Order: sequence, then structure tokens, then C-alpha cells
Amino acid sequence: MEYLLVKFQESRGVIVDGISEGMTNQVLELETGFHTVTLEAPPDFTPELHEFILRKTSVISPRVISFEKA
Amino acid sequence: MKKHRLNKYLFLTLIAALFFLCSCAHYQKNLPLTDIHQNKPYTFDAFNPEHLGDADETFVILTFSGGGTRAAAFSYGVLEEVKNTRLPGSNKTLLDEADIISTVSGGSFTGAYYALFGPRIFDDFKEKFLYRNIQKELALALLNPANWLRLSSPYFSRIDLAAELYDRTIFEAGTFKSLADRKKRPFLIINATSLYQGSRFEFTGSQFNYIGSDILSYPIARAVAASSAFPFLLSPISLVNYPYPDGYKMTDADKMALKDYWSNKSRYYNALNNTMYADKKGHPYLHLMDGGLADNIGLRAVNDLYLRGSLRKKINSGEIKRLLVVVVNAKNEPQETLDKNESPPGLATVALKTSTVSMDNYSFETVESIKKLFADRIEAQMNLDGCQQKLDEHCKDGYKLPALAGGKMKLYVVDISFDNLSDNDEKNFLKHLPTTFHLEKNEVERLISAGRLLFKDHPEFKAFMDEFK
Repeated sequence: MEYLLVKFQESRGVIVDGISEGMTNQVLELETGFHTVTLEAPPDFTPELHEFILRKTSVISPRVISFEKA
Repeated sequence: MKKHRLNKYLFLTLIAALFFLCSCAHYQKNLPLTDIHQNKPYTFDAFNPEHLGDADETFVILTFSGGGTRAAAFSYGVLEEVKNTRLPGSNKTLLDEADIISTVSGGSFTGAYYALFGPRIFDDFKEKFLYRNIQKELALALLNPANWLRLSSPYFSRIDLAAELYDRTIFEAGTFKSLADRKKRPFLIINATSLYQGSRFEFTGSQFNYIGSDILSYPIARAVAASSAFPFLLSPISLVNYPYPDGYKMTDADKMALKDYWSNKSRYYNALNNTMYADKKGHPYLHLMDGGLADNIGLRAVNDLYLRGSLRKKINSGEIKRLLVVVVNAKNEPQETLDKNESPPGLATVALKTSTVSMDNYSFETVESIKKLFADRIEAQMNLDGCQQKLDEHCKDGYKLPALAGGKMKLYVVDISFDNLSDNDEKNFLKHLPTTFHLEKNEVERLISAGRLLFKDHPEFKAFMDEFK
């Protein structure tokens, strides 16, 4: 498995590949490969979406992506 | 003389008409989707505890392997013991906590019967299935002249007769709508194998979406027949791959997975196998056979749910505190004399052996694979705890590492097979039982007893129960 940390200034639901999956600021366990990540409503964040490949991570060194308040 | 000749022609005409009508016999077709949301009631998400008044803190998955009546009886024994297990500190049994049952072939009879009729299984399943000589009943149906005419149709075969028998005498015309209407877990996943791809095909709303078909109206008996369509003895179950209704689009998960050829082949091929059905002209039909050809223990469905399905979502959302997977594997070791003769076996023996040998080959690896996934998760939790501890010891700024979603989830795999038996005589007796739809009553009872004993005595099950103390 791979590990992803989605940073946002508040706790918000994370949507991975179109499916609600955990919360921001927690390490999420996901399958190796390409993923899209966005946040649940309200749409007050930027960018709208991250698309990236998730690989070679560990629980103490997860891939980090960030959303900012728009 | 003229009248006699006329009668003869009339008789022949009638026979020909009868043959013509019967050769129009057709298997029961699956129906097309008219709405993209039509299959939602038979997806795992629709069997949500929020709607069902259940909790997911303890999440229990049962998988029942193939192996004819041997597998059905063995899994029934385990199911009985799961029912008899009271969870300390609650008025529930472990069976009340069963969330998913994934089944293959013979195990599909037990799993589907429980999912459809609930605790009634403990009152009448033995008489309804386990003690019956299904094989003889199928042979009698084949010998019935009325069925010869139907079987002369290219669109009606032995498996359709079997499905009719199961529908009438076991599943009481139950459909997937009957399961959805129960609004009660466990969610049943019946597994078959797609002959074209050689891949797992599950009878769920999500899978039927790919073939543009309505699952709710589909008979459970036909799904079980597909799951247990043993090569050579039974023919495949056919399904129509319909055009998609308006509004259908590929999921984001499949779009991403199809980019994964170089990074994750398992995810890539899973998506490729499912999205292949979008080519309606190239694949207007699909033909399904015994689920054991792709996975004889029903565990790959669980593996997929853990990696990328509803189970992953629940873990990342922190809903599951303890996850128990019970794998009931009725793998046998039939007594064969192949190695005793210098001359090689005949064509029929080789054909049967080569078509079934794969059924057991990868079962062990599949169990080890899920155990490895669980071990990796536990290791990740321990690594995170260890690092935090070192930080607390050596750094004074109180930095906290981000928590792992799902926290310190506990995971258990209870793998039950005849090899676990300490009594060698009983082990050999059970391992030598053939794969058939007819066993003697005492053989069925010994299988049930073994299932109960092996579940109760399994060290992982004991560890799981200790957690409640």
C-alpha cells in the first residue's frame, strides 16, 4: 500500500478517484498508481483537483499534497 | 391405406412442429438497465449500517470455497459455529456481525441460502440441499424426453436445467431484489469466472452496471449455477451485454486505473476486464463458468474490496476497529493413481485434470496475499507509533506525526482447511471426499462437525475473541 497526506487548514472530507475516502490531515492508505484528489464541499479551495501518481511512499514519509483556501 | 398415410404425415408434422417449438427453448435472459441508478440497491454501499441500524466497528467477512457438497457442508458447519459464538459484553452473536459473504461454487449454495433466508438455514438447509442427491436429480432431468427437445436448442443447455432445479427446489424463485429487500447484511458476493477473460465475475450491482444489465431481476439460482458450473460436467451460463442507458459514464477510479499499466498491473487489469464490456459490438454476450477457475476460495473479492473498494473506504474513514476474515477452504486431495502407472493418463483424465488443477493452485497464495496486506497494515501502525515515541523522547517541541486513518485497527485472518485437523484419520477421510453434489449423510455430518471444531479452535479466532475481554 501507499500513503497520502492531504493538507488543508481545516478538517474536511477527501475525495479520491471520485469516492469519499477519509479526512484531510490524516495519512490515507491507498493503492499504488494514478489518483485524483479533491475535497468535499464547499468549493472554497484551490486547486480544484490534484492528479498524480502515488508510489514509493511509507507511513512516515507519505506523499503530501496541499489545498489552500480560495 | 390413404387415410393411414395421411395419419403418418400428420404425426410426422406434429413431431417436427414439436421439435421446432422446443428448439426455440431459450435460457432465461438477464434484462437491460433502463436507469443508471437501477442497480444501486444491490451494491455494498446500499447495505449501509446507517440505514440498517448496525455498526461497523467489528467487521466480519466470510468466504466459502468451492468443492460441491463437501464445501457446502463444511462452510455450513463454520456458519453454525459463528452463530453459536456470543460476543462478550453484547447480546449479539458473531453471525449478527457478518457483513459480507463471498462465495464460490459449492460454497455459493450455503452462502446464498443464508443471505436469502437468514437463520432458517439452520432448520431446513440439510434437507433442502446437503442431504440431497442433486447429481441424480440432474441426471433424471437430463433423461426426461421433454428436456431432450429443449436441449436440442442451441440456446438452452444442461446448466439451464440445473438452474431451474435450484430455483424451484432450493432458492424458491429468489432474485437479487429479494436480497436487497431484506435490507439486512451480510452482503452476498457470488463469484463466477468469465470464460473469455478467465477473470472473476461477481454478481453485484457494480459488476452488472458494466454489462448494462439489471441485477435485481436476476435469479439467485442462475448466479449460483454459474458459480458452480464445473468444467465439462456443466455448460456455461450466458449473459447479454446490453448498451448502457443514458447518462452512463466511466468511473474516475477506472479512468485512473487504466493509466496504471506500468505502475500497478493488478489495478490496471481489474479495470481493463470490467471496462472491456463497454465494447458492446465486440462482446455482445458473456459466458460464465465455475468461480473456482478464477479463485476457488472467494478471497479475491475481499482482496479487491480491501485494496480499492468499499472496505478501503471504511478503513480510511475510521469506521472499522477490528476486521475478521474467515476463509473456509474445502480443498480436497482425491485419491488418484496417476503416478502409479508408467503409461500416461488418457485424454479425458488429462482434460479434466488440467481444467481443474488451477482451482486449487492459487488458493494458498491468495490467503498468504491477504495475510501480507494485513501484516503490512499492522507494521505501518507500529512504525508510526515507534517514530512518534522516538520524537517524544528526543524532540522537545511536542511535534506529532499525522495519524494513520483508521487508527490502530486490529486485523485477523482465520483460514480453515482440513489440513488444520490434528486427527490424521479424520483429516484423511475428509480430504479424500470427492467433489460431487451427493454425499452420504454421515459424510455431511462429519464435514459439519469438522467446520465447527476448526473454527472454534483456530488460534486467530481465539485472539479475536480475547480482544473483547
